[in-house]
Amino acid sequence: MSLRFHWMMPKGGEVGMKTAQETSRVATTHAHSPAALPDMEGWLRFARAAEEAGIESVLLSFSRYEPDTIFVACAMGQVTTKLGFIVAYRLGLMQPATFVQQINTLSGLINGRVSLNIVAGSSAVEQRGYGDYLDHDERYARAEEFLTVCHAFWAGNSDVSFSGKYCQIDKGKIFTPFLAPHRSEPEIYVSGHSEQAQHLALTQASCYLRLIDRPEKLAPIVARFREKGVEVCLRLCVICRPTMDEALAATQALMPPEEIEKQERKILSSSDSQTLKEALRAADDVGWMNRNLYAGLVPYYGSSAITLVGTPEDLARAFMEYKEIGVTQFIIAGWPKLDEMVIFGREVLPLVRELEGRVSPAAALRRNDQN
Amino acid sequence: MSLKFHWMLPKGGEVALDGQQSPREAARYRIESMQSTSPAVRPDLAGWTRFARHAEDAGIDSTLISFSRYEPDPFVVACALGQAVQKLKFIIAYRSGLMSPTTFVQQMNTVSALVEGRVSFNIVAGSSSAEQRGYGDYLSHDERYARAEEFLAVCNAFWRVNGEVNFDGKYYRVEQAKLATPFVAPDKRAPEIFVSGHSEQSEHLASSQGSIWLRVAESPSKLEPIVARTRARGTGVCLRCCLLCRPKREEALSAAQTLLPADTKESTTTMKDDSQMYREGNELKRDAFWPEPWLWTGLVPHYGPVWTTMIGTPDELASAFLEYKRIGVTEFIISGWPEVDTVDVFGREILPRINQA
Repeated sequence: MSLRFHWMMPKGGEVGMKTAQETSRVATTHAHSPAALPDMEGWLRFARAAEEAGIESVLLSFSRYEPDTIFVACAMGQVTTKLGFIVAYRLGLMQPATFVQQINTLSGLINGRVSLNIVAGSSAVEQRGYGDYLDHDERYARAEEFLTVCHAFWAGNSDVSFSGKYCQIDKGKIFTPFLAPHRSEPEIYVSGHSEQAQHLALTQASCYLRLIDRPEKLAPIVARFREKGVEVCLRLCVICRPTMDEALAATQALMPPEEIEKQERKILSSSDSQTLKEALRAADDVGWMNRNLYAGLVPYYGSSAITLVGTPEDLARAFMEYKEIGVTQFIIAGWPKLDEMVIFGREVLPLVRELEGRVSPAAALRRNDQN
Repeated sequence: MSLKFHWMLPKGGEVALDGQQSPREAARYRIESMQSTSPAVRPDLAGWTRFARHAEDAGIDSTLISFSRYEPDPFVVACALGQAVQKLKFIIAYRSGLMSPTTFVQQMNTVSALVEGRVSFNIVAGSSSAEQRGYGDYLSHDERYARAEEFLAVCNAFWRVNGEVNFDGKYYRVEQAKLATPFVAPDKRAPEIFVSGHSEQSEHLASSQGSIWLRVAESPSKLEPIVARTRARGTGVCLRCCLLCRPKREEALSAAQTLLPADTKESTTTMKDDSQMYREGNELKRDAFWPEPWLWTGLVPHYGPVWTTMIGTPDELASAFLEYKRIGVTEFIISGWPEVDTVDVFGREILPRINQA
């Protein structure tokens, strides 16, 4: 199976922004942020570019700072024909029957191009604003019940009855089916690194979504999910440039101004003759997880900013390494999201497809040798 | 102020894209739409868009999108249809007890921004207890109204203030709630809220938290005091009815006859055990089927009160609407058989007569 690549949908107003700092996660939570409003014009431009780049779906994030994801997917789905939408939704906000009715309706209006990223709930403060007072562990217990009920509806059960701790339902029936060319229910991504999140993904999801890490660290985790028939999708950022030097410079440029200042002072205080190798070693201290995987942006752009940095060849090779350990999908972002996606579609994806075409016969040969 | 006219959105598959449909065929389609094999369970953007264009041409303000487990979610339908047409507005019917008020406001505000504010909603406390239990809602009729009161209080708080919402009620508790996405419309900061029902609780709720009380058309003489006291509280009154208009009265009456079921015992209303409006409808006596020469309730025992029908010639119907206007009614939500043909006739024959009066 070919690797599947998805991209983060930009926030409202983000497509028109020029600098990474403007688009940073924190800025979207400010009052009067344009992220509070739908941005059909910017999103449409982004969606067209995504379709052209070979991106399968966009992930629409959910928070109280942004428009509701179900409706953004609905409106965007009316003006696109190919792109899929991974709708993030928190639980504890509505009844499972209502959720299924909305998702099924959406599927029928956009030719099934919808999947779900179920989030048990993030900040307790934000959840209480929605009237949800459960703690972390209870939210996962509820998510388990919630998705069990959803699956019963999608299985086409005519009278769904469920009597759990968090969900009760008596002879529920939703007449509008999930409508998609090849599926009778949406793909479900469950994200989170906790034990409970992993358990929920194993029991209720089609795909476990987590942050990228070094392949050797992820291998046993991925294997555990694949054994149970659950796919694994990694969330990451990319910075791709023709040379490693350029990629590193682009990475440095993402540091907030004072940070850049600090870095520059450091460089100035040492000899002018410092080589790229030394620069790499210096960067090591701020979080190079391996040659191409950089965690140094995390303090400024959030946990999902672990970034693959390198040339198109570096990145293609890295994606193939993840494929070898069983990862099947990626949800990517960049700075800016649109520009980096265009580079990815033009430079990286063709290389990945080429390597994928080569790999199977090569792997087959290797197996023959071993025999 | 001139009367406002809204129209029911046809069921999925109801709008015949080619060929004629008789009133009886349209009526049967609607009656049978509550079966899982009906195409009405699927969204029908092509048919709806066709209807919407006709409604816009006819001078219709909004289309009411009904909510039930038998059909697509009206919120999502409004969002999609709002992308296809530019003028028509949407009244989204929704039940309380299905989602958190914070989520409801976030959805409503998002849709408003995506359809240039062309959205309002009709809150239904819940008509059938069996259907409500299928959504996980086990409250009784009166409790549902108490909850709806709290639900709308929280919603209104979001729309009134721009900061934090705190609420500690019997059914809802939210703390330091904030939503960044505002209600976006050229002329208002909150959607209009239609509250429907015939019970005392619904009348109270319409005035305490709503903007418009929605009920079924009855004799103007019977409605007059009810409308007067509602208007005195600053609440609008909207009547729900069906419309059957023909050039001659006899033609209208014979078309009405074709709508009666072959089986005189046929009824689709047994599910609505928990609605005062439906209980009243079931108690109608045969001799009460013509409360006015132009108002017919003969279909109500079979299909419920919303099948109350205004019947007659364009002149008769225009003067009936004006009579409602005289007693203080502010708007109407109409449906017909078939919807597209009837909305055409309304726009061509009736509305000009009302506007000229």
